[in-house]
Amino acid sequence: MRYKASLGLKVAAFGGLAFLHVPLGLIFLYAFTTEDKSYQFPPPGLTTRWFEVAWNRQDIWDALTLSVQVAAVSTVIALVLGTLAAAAVFRSRFFGREAVSLFIILPIALPGIITGISLRSAFNLADIPFSFWTIVLGHATFCVVVVYNNVVARFRRTSASLVEASMDLGADGFQTFRYVVLPNIATALLAGGMLAFALSFDEVIVTTFTAGQQSTLPIWMLTELVRPRQRPVTNVVAVFVIAVTFVPILVAYFLTRDTEHVAGAGK
Amino acid sequence: MHPTPVKAAVSAALFFTAAQPVLSAPLTEIGPGEGVVDIVAWPGYIERGETDPNFDWVTGFEEATGCQVRIKTAGTSDEMVALMNEGGFDLVTASGDASLRLIAGKRVQEVNVDLVPSWNTVDERLQDAPWHTVDGKHYGVPYQWGSNVLMYNTDVFEEAPQSWNVVFEEMTLPDGNSNKGRVQAFDGPIYIADAALYLMHHQPDLGIKDPYELTEDQYQAALNLLRGQREIVNRYWHDPFIQIDDFTNEGVVASSAWPFQVNLLVGKEQPISSVVPVEGATGWADTTMMHVDAPHPNCAYMWLEHSINPKLQGDLAAWFGSVPVVLAACEGNELLGDEGCDTNGLGNFERISFWRTPVTQCATQEQCVPYYRWVTDYIAVLGGR
Amino acid sequence: MTTAVATAPSLGRRLSNGLYRRPTLLLLLLLAPPLMWLGIVYLGSLFALLAQSFFSIDEFTGLVRREFTLSTYAQLFSPANVDIVLRTALMAAAVTVAAACMGFPIAYYMARCTGPRMKAVFYLAVMLPLWSSYLVRVYAWKLILAKEGILGWFFAQLHLTWLLDAVLALPVIGGASLSVSYIGMFLVFLYIWLPFMILPIQAALERVPPSYLDASSDLGAHPGQTLRHVILPLAFPGIVAGSIFTFSLTLGDYIIPGIVGSSRLFIGQAVFVHQGTAGNIPLAAAFSVVPIVIMAIYLTWAKRLGAFDAL
Repeated sequence: MRYKASLGLKVAAFGGLAFLHVPLGLIFLYAFTTEDKSYQFPPPGLTTRWFEVAWNRQDIWDALTLSVQVAAVSTVIALVLGTLAAAAVFRSRFFGREAVSLFIILPIALPGIITGISLRSAFNLADIPFSFWTIVLGHATFCVVVVYNNVVARFRRTSASLVEASMDLGADGFQTFRYVVLPNIATALLAGGMLAFALSFDEVIVTTFTAGQQSTLPIWMLTELVRPRQRPVTNVVAVFVIAVTFVPILVAYFLTRDTEHVAGAGK
Repeated sequence: MHPTPVKAAVSAALFFTAAQPVLSAPLTEIGPGEGVVDIVAWPGYIERGETDPNFDWVTGFEEATGCQVRIKTAGTSDEMVALMNEGGFDLVTASGDASLRLIAGKRVQEVNVDLVPSWNTVDERLQDAPWHTVDGKHYGVPYQWGSNVLMYNTDVFEEAPQSWNVVFEEMTLPDGNSNKGRVQAFDGPIYIADAALYLMHHQPDLGIKDPYELTEDQYQAALNLLRGQREIVNRYWHDPFIQIDDFTNEGVVASSAWPFQVNLLVGKEQPISSVVPVEGATGWADTTMMHVDAPHPNCAYMWLEHSINPKLQGDLAAWFGSVPVVLAACEGNELLGDEGCDTNGLGNFERISFWRTPVTQCATQEQCVPYYRWVTDYIAVLGGR
Repeated sequence: MTTAVATAPSLGRRLSNGLYRRPTLLLLLLLAPPLMWLGIVYLGSLFALLAQSFFSIDEFTGLVRREFTLSTYAQLFSPANVDIVLRTALMAAAVTVAAACMGFPIAYYMARCTGPRMKAVFYLAVMLPLWSSYLVRVYAWKLILAKEGILGWFFAQLHLTWLLDAVLALPVIGGASLSVSYIGMFLVFLYIWLPFMILPIQAALERVPPSYLDASSDLGAHPGQTLRHVILPLAFPGIVAGSIFTFSLTLGDYIIPGIVGSSRLFIGQAVFVHQGTAGNIPLAAAFSVVPIVIMAIYLTWAKRLGAFDAL
């Protein structure tokens, strides 16, 4: 199944990867610069003191905690809603099915700023004060689509006959879900959940409108980047996030890849 | 006195005959603090020592009163008005182009100056200033004033530029290169007044008497000047910190700026200085105003009193490059120095045209172009129209 | 205890069997929660916003006047605002085309020419930027593009400053430095959204059965012909799916044009400025209608090409 790549293809592919990674390298480099007010190239000197500074800044920990909580709750909501929608759209052809799938994609197909200001003006109209839940409300809305996509793709590969076989063998619906459907879609849920988490964790545009005075990690960065105060600290935080998330991405990848050929997928 | 206090009062009065604000009764007594006070402020206006530990006028207040200060910074007056319209804040450090709008929109409440014991120490020229006093009622406590300055790079300009023309007209700068792509202008509609101020000096036949009161013809002339400026400006500044980057990394050599950026850049040993050119300058006089539905009025009153203590006023003036509203602050402040107030333009009061909201009924002309047109037209100018 | 065990499953079983026999009921139960959520939270607030585009604003106080008017839409069609719309749409189109051209070889290499280990490396390499802060990446580009930044430094080292100057001297897309030009903004957009293009194309390519390619070459097609007549048509839904992201994300972004570019507004900024800075919700709402209409047309077209199956 492997094909030999021509030189041109190799250059294009690796060139593209380099384009994606040189700026990441810079983020890494500038986490160590000694110049803290404005960036200059090349950096005048290197230091590791920003890691210590970042570690001791309570506002970073607060923002990080809020971001993790928001992302976790949004992901759980998205997992439930996305799976339900995927199951419904996959298992039957009904009137309006197309509309439903379009509808679910809408929050991510329309620019974030629209989602953001419409939620904000709705909160205003309904006199809902900004809180943890207003952020979650916004995030879960666009996270549903990621889970939905992953799960619906998996359902397509899962044979419907498995479910029938399970029912024929005397399992009830819940048992079938627990022992047949869930194991089949588990890794898709994991991959979708990871993506949803990532999306929520780095979201800034919708959050700007739904957070009020609260500060998630990206909002913290936005306020931090425009002031000349310990700028490299933002880079330290970015590097930290990359490092911490490296392993889960890899794990999710291997889990989803190895189960691509699930039982019954052959037909 | 303020250059046009009578005119401003007249225009405000004319306006208020059209829109009568409903006045809620102010507090008569300060109760125990609510633990929090939420303030909308210009960037750099309320510091808690995070950028420089010497500049901290929040921590002490928090310890003394138990009111935690929460700050939301806003980059333009329009943003401040929008935030106050949205609500949830106690105080706002509003400039003159926002304060009357806030009063007319019933977004701020009358302040009972009896609850602000230091009120009488405020500079007398500002106590009854028309941008916060309506019908003899005070809608805020003056906080600080200052002028916009022409910030320039001393490597390019060995002598201070004498005129704003270096940012308005294409020309060759002293270093032999064109100013094209090397100057900036402010990214807010109120900047139209800077153009008008320039025309007031250079085209007297237009008959501009006040840069905030422009007839259609005068207004169009100002817009034309700004359209020409669009050709030489590569990016308009909005955030003072991004402007600082532009002066260090992007080769920008001259721009209108706040003394705040000048101080920071000089502090970083950059070749930067500033001047108020011959045409004079626009400026701001800011007032701390209280939201009509302020959730924490007691802490807000405590902050109002704190905001005019000489130590804070002097420190803030040193930090922001502005002028204190309490003259006692000019003496004996370590950070500001004895010359500080003069350096920051205490003597310029008469040369400054303070920011004000342009309205249709104006004192110096028959009919003026109102602010909402400034907003849409300035966006168009930025877009190259 | 025994009774409980005996009755509970039978109740559950009856319930589940009942549902299994009544697919419509099950369908409704499955669909209700996600549709309620999206319908009430999302569509509800979307309509609440759009309704406001029929209001207008009191010019002095900045408060919204809640009376029906079309004047806000009249304002939307002023030449300056039409410029903003065209500028944004052109930028989004350019970014989308470039992302497809750049993303395809990467996705193709990933899907067809790598072993399992290399594929994991590639996957990680494409995903990693998505996980690193969007804001920090944008600011990193500001440093790259600044006049005295990295690209400028690099060109100077290679004695190619003349080339950079020549590019910047181009009308319209050039400027005083890369960071205030459309070229600079284009590069940043391309960089930020490229992974969103690569992943769907790769997914689509993975699904092309290898036997098709073998058949094509067995029948005497050159690799180029196979690419054009077999692979590209099969990968096309993936490209369209990716383009939905790149196009829509560019259309609504307001942070990148604020940091890199020449202060000429984009749609996202216009919405942001009118909503936040100027407090003119009606005009902001009217501006939001523009990307909605553009995306509606785009999605209809994409749907016809089967892009949703490749998402």
